[in-house]
Amino acid sequence: MAILRRNQKAKFEGGGLVLFQEVSQAIAGEKILKAAGYLVRLVAPPPELRKGCDLAVEINLIEQPGIERLLKEKDMAYVSIEPIRVKTAPLLEVVKVTDFGRWVMVKAGNMKITYEKDSGVIVNVSGGGCPDIPYLHAELVDKRLDQAPRPKDLGFTLCALNLERALDECLALHSGGSKT
Amino acid sequence: MMLIAGTVPIKDMPLTLDKVTSEGDYLVVGGRKIPCTQGTGAMVSAALATTSYLGLEAPQVLLVGDIGKGDGSRKLYQYLIDQVKELSPAVLALHYWLPDMAQTRQLCAAVETCARRPIMVADAASMYSAKAAGLAEKFDIFTPDATEIAFLADPEATHPAYINRHLFETDISRAPELAKAAYSNHGAARLLLVKGAVDYIIKEGEVLATITEPDVPALEPIGGTGDTITGLVSAFAFAGLELHEAAIIAARTNRMAGKYARVTPASKVREVVAQFPAVFKDYLCQWSNVCCTEGGKSDD
Repeated sequence: MAILRRNQKAKFEGGGLVLFQEVSQAIAGEKILKAAGYLVRLVAPPPELRKGCDLAVEINLIEQPGIERLLKEKDMAYVSIEPIRVKTAPLLEVVKVTDFGRWVMVKAGNMKITYEKDSGVIVNVSGGGCPDIPYLHAELVDKRLDQAPRPKDLGFTLCALNLERALDECLALHSGGSKT
Repeated sequence: MMLIAGTVPIKDMPLTLDKVTSEGDYLVVGGRKIPCTQGTGAMVSAALATTSYLGLEAPQVLLVGDIGKGDGSRKLYQYLIDQVKELSPAVLALHYWLPDMAQTRQLCAAVETCARRPIMVADAASMYSAKAAGLAEKFDIFTPDATEIAFLADPEATHPAYINRHLFETDISRAPELAKAAYSNHGAARLLLVKGAVDYIIKEGEVLATITEPDVPALEPIGGTGDTITGLVSAFAFAGLELHEAAIIAARTNRMAGKYARVTPASKVREVVAQFPAVFKDYLCQWSNVCCTEGGKSDD
């Protein structure tokens, strides 16, 4: 067995852009994200994505939820976060519900939450592939829907964002309504 | 050697390379107990159950703690980039991590320098970054579910959250059509094991097999039952089975274990993994002509 230490040396290749209204905001935004350990860089946004200034911060798009939360915590204004590939579809918001009798499974994008109808206790979380999902699985399972932590508060990735949507729908269903 | 690399949801676990063992319901890696739960834990548990039954060398695992910030993920991939040539695994199975296209690109380049190219398996976010970086064809096996095959089919998507709505389909019956699109977009590995109510084994766009029995719908809600399929197929590939055979047997094993465990949507994945030895004992010889008793001793 070996405990291994390596310095991170990889080049950065993002996939998403944080768009700002002003150049000074883009520079400040980059500083905040770098200080928090995110791999980011200042870039010129492509013309079709320009919504504000001519400077944007390139991010790993997968990390969108964690970055949104951090910018909000730091009171850092930005216009929007967009995928760099302009043909990319908007965030998927399809939700599907499967009735298993005693349990209900709610699927939002690639994430699923299953809860017991009577108690409202989450019995399983499945789907996804980002590293916050096994962590969120451990944090959510065996908790009541209304007492479970919010994936948007604990998670960092797009998988967590979908899990948040699934939890929203579970809460709506359990309280007698549905958002879909 | 079979090498499995991925993150685990243990904040302070350093990057650790070790041969995995088991202790009750837990894996033991680097002296730490890791639960058999959704993610790399379930995947490694399934692989270990298989190698143990077949009497093969236990998987070597490269694990690191990461709860989504990506710090552990980056260390893990950098270590692989630097060391894969020396490690020279026969099977390299990549699992949970924070997708990073640049590091995936570097890793695939490093793999090309190995004296013998490993069988490359990717699932979860390792599959996402391989596809997003345009490197899917460097991989031998992907194990997507119904949503993820739509992601592979969308040439622009870099994550399943950004799939074109017309491709997104939770009905698994569209898998062959989506797989064809994925192959034509260079978004698929050589072999796809598409996991769902019907499991599809697809090679170069052609459906080689479908597995529908036993039908255990309650497997879908259980976190980790897709991960176990990836662990199974990796281990059977390490055992020397043809990749499509490994995929077929993996899918059958998972289903049968779900049936043996009498799973409900509230069951845990460890209950499924616990049934693998019994399934192997009852069916492996029939399914594969690999006839042995537990521990790899010949049946005859």
